[in-house]
Amino acid sequence: MAEYKLLLEHTNDPTFRTLEGYKRLGGYQGLPKALSMEKSTIIDSVKAAGLRGRGGAGAPAALKWGGMPKEKKNPHYLICNADEGEPGTFKDKQLLEQCPFELVEGMTIAGYAVMGDVGYIYIRGEYVDGARALRAAIDEAYANNLLGKNILGTDFSFDLQIHMGAGSYECGEETALMSSLMGERGMPRLKFPHAPFPVISGVWEKPTLIHNVESYCNVPYIVDRGAEWWSSLGAATKNSRGTKIFSVSGHVNNPGNFEIEFGTPLKDLLALAGGIRGGKLKACIPGGSSVPIINAEMVDRAILGYEEMSEVKSMVGSGGCMFFNEHTDIVKFIWRTCVFYANESCGKCTPCREGTRWLVQIMERIIAGKGREGDKELLLQVTSQIDGRSFCPLGDAASWPVMAAIRVFPEEFDYYIKHGRSMVGDPELVGALA
Amino acid sequence: MSEPIRLHENGHTVSNIPLANRPTAPKRDEVELRFSEQGVAELEALKSHYPTLKACLLPALWLAQREYGGHLSPEALAEVAFRLHRNFAEVEGVATFYTLYNATHKPGKHKLELCTCLSCHVNDAPKIRDYIVKKLGVKHGETTADGMFTFEEVECLNACDRAVVLQVGDQYHGPLNEAYIDKLVDDLRASEASTVVQMAGEVVKVQLRSGEVK
Ligand SMILES: Cc1cc2nc3c(=O)[nH]c(=O)nc-3n(C[C@H](O)[C@H](O)[C@H](O)COP(=O)(O)O)c2cc1C
Ligand code: SF4
Ligand code: FES
Repeated sequence: MAEYKLLLEHTNDPTFRTLEGYKRLGGYQGLPKALSMEKSTIIDSVKAAGLRGRGGAGAPAALKWGGMPKEKKNPHYLICNADEGEPGTFKDKQLLEQCPFELVEGMTIAGYAVMGDVGYIYIRGEYVDGARALRAAIDEAYANNLLGKNILGTDFSFDLQIHMGAGSYECGEETALMSSLMGERGMPRLKFPHAPFPVISGVWEKPTLIHNVESYCNVPYIVDRGAEWWSSLGAATKNSRGTKIFSVSGHVNNPGNFEIEFGTPLKDLLALAGGIRGGKLKACIPGGSSVPIINAEMVDRAILGYEEMSEVKSMVGSGGCMFFNEHTDIVKFIWRTCVFYANESCGKCTPCREGTRWLVQIMERIIAGKGREGDKELLLQVTSQIDGRSFCPLGDAASWPVMAAIRVFPEEFDYYIKHGRSMVGDPELVGALA
Repeated sequence: MSEPIRLHENGHTVSNIPLANRPTAPKRDEVELRFSEQGVAELEALKSHYPTLKACLLPALWLAQREYGGHLSPEALAEVAFRLHRNFAEVEGVATFYTLYNATHKPGKHKLELCTCLSCHVNDAPKIRDYIVKKLGVKHGETTADGMFTFEEVECLNACDRAVVLQVGDQYHGPLNEAYIDKLVDDLRASEASTVVQMAGEVVKVQLRSGEVK
C-alpha cells in the first residue's frame, strides 16, 4: 500500500505554515463548524471516529474528552505533549515545524469541546525550530481572532502558551510532564486507582486534557470531513482508525516520516523508506525503543494496527520504526538501549532506578567478553522485577526490549556469553558455516 | 554518592553528578542581583503565563542561563530562587534534573551534543564520537582548555532520519561525517557569539507572549 497523506499532505508547501496558506489549503474549516456545534456532539464525533491517542499507548481519545467535567467549577486546562523523546520517533518535530496550524486549530476545537481555558504546549527544549514555527502560528491566530477572547465572535475564549522543557525523556510521561509544567523535577505523580485521572485532577489539580501532537492534529479533519469519512481510513483493521505517521530510520535507504493508513503491512513501510541498505533485513523495532524487537520473518507478516501488532508480540507505540540489517550486533544494540533507560530513569522508584543500572552492568560485562554462564537468566530475572513493579511505565519500557531481544535472538546472547564476542561477523563462525 | 558507573565505551557514564560539582548555596548577603532590566521585565511577563509563581521556574532558569552567559552558577540559581520566592535547594534540585541546564559545570562557548542513541548508534555514531574526542581532546562532559567547546554524548535528539545527529545551540547537524565536523568546528571557532547563550535566548523568546491566563 502507498502512503496516505492527511496531516502531512502539504508539508512541501512552505505557505502551509502561514495562516493565509493554511486557509487556502483547506485549514480552519473545522473550527467554525465546531463552534456552531453542541459540545457533546463534537465529543460524540471524536468517539464515532474512533480516534486513539498517538502518544504511544493508543487510548481512545473520547474517553478523556467525555471524562472532563460537564459542569465548570474550576479552570480546565489542555496540554499538548510535544516532548517527543522516544528514540526513533521524529513525527511531532515535523508536525510542529511544518503543520503548526493543524495543532493550533485542533487544540482550539478540543478546548471548546471540553470548556478549556488555557492550553499549554510542552515542547522539548531541543526543538527550538518547532517552537519558533508554532510561536509564529499562535501569534497569527491571536491577531486574527482565532485565539484569545471571543474567538470568531462567539463567547468562547481560549489561550495557548508554549512551555519549553529542558532535557528529560521522562517528562514525556504525562504526569511527569505536569510536574515539570508546575516547576518541579520531571517525576511522575500518583495515578489511578490511587489518585483520580487527570481529567478530574490534573495539572494544578484541575481538570486536564492531555494529548500528543499528532492526536490534536487529527481533530480538525474529523470535525471538518466528518467522523464517518475519517473512520473509513484504516477500516480494514480491528480497531485502529485514521492514518499514522511512522518515523522510519536505521539501515534504510530513504529514512523519513511516512504517513500511512492503519492496516498497511509493515513490509510496505520498509519499501516506502527505500528498503534495507547494507545487507539483508535482520530485525525491526516498529514503534520506538520501548516496544519489543521483531525479526525479519515477523516483519514480513506484521500489519500496522494497534491490535494487529500483537500478533508478532510487538506494538505500534509512538511510530518510531527502526530497521536493522544483518550486520547489526543485537546484543550491543540492546546494551545501548539499556544505557538510554538508565540515563533517563528519573530515580523516583527503586526497581527502575537500580534495575536499569544493573541491566547496564550485566550487558556491559557481556559485551566486554566477560559474560558468565547464567547471565541471560539473570537479565530476565532483573527485567521481570522491573516490569510491573515500577512507579511509571518507563520501568516497564526499559525491561521489554531486553526480554524481547532474548526471546527473539537468544543465540546471539548465548554466543556472546560463551565466546566473549559477537557472532555477527565473527570470522570463525563464518568459516564454520561455510 | 557512589562512583559513577564506568561504561564499556570510552567514558560514556550513566549520568551521576560528582559530589564536587554540586552547586552549593552562596551566603545570603553575597547574592548579587545581576539580571538585566530586560531580563527582569521578561520574567515579569512570564509570570502572567502561569497560575502559580512556582511554575515559572523552568522558564526562569532558561532566562538565567541567558543572563549569566550560559552557566547556571550557584549565584544564578540563588538569584532565581530570590526572584521566585523559592529556596535554593529547590531551585538547585530542579536545575540539576534537566540536562539542558548547565548547573553542574561551566560549559564552553559552544556545546557539541552528539547523539549516540539507537538509530545513530547503528549508523556508526561511536566512530564519529571517537573522531570528535580525538580532534578536540576532550571526553564526554569535558571542556577544552581554551573554554571553546564542551563535548557531550546525548540521548536521541529525535531527528534519526538525519543520523548521526549533532546539536549545537539551536541547530541540528546531520548526517555527519568527518569533513562536516572539521568545517563546523572551524566555523564555530571563528564565530563571535556563544551558541549556548544564543539558544537560551531563543527559548525565552518563544515562550514570551501576550495571552491572558485565568
Ligand atoms: C516514559 C514515557 C515517555 C513518554 N513520552 C511521550 C512523548 O514524548 N510524547 C507523547 O506524546 N507521549 C509520551 N508518553 C505517553 C504519555 O504518557 C501520554 O500517554 C500521552 O501523552 C497521551 O496522549 P495521547 O492520548 O494523545 O496518546 C510517554 C510515556 C512514558 C511512560
Ligand atoms: S519507573 Fe520509577 S524511576 Fe523509572 S522513570 Fe518511572 S518513576 Fe522514575
Ligand atoms: S538516535 Fe540519534 S537522533 Fe535519534
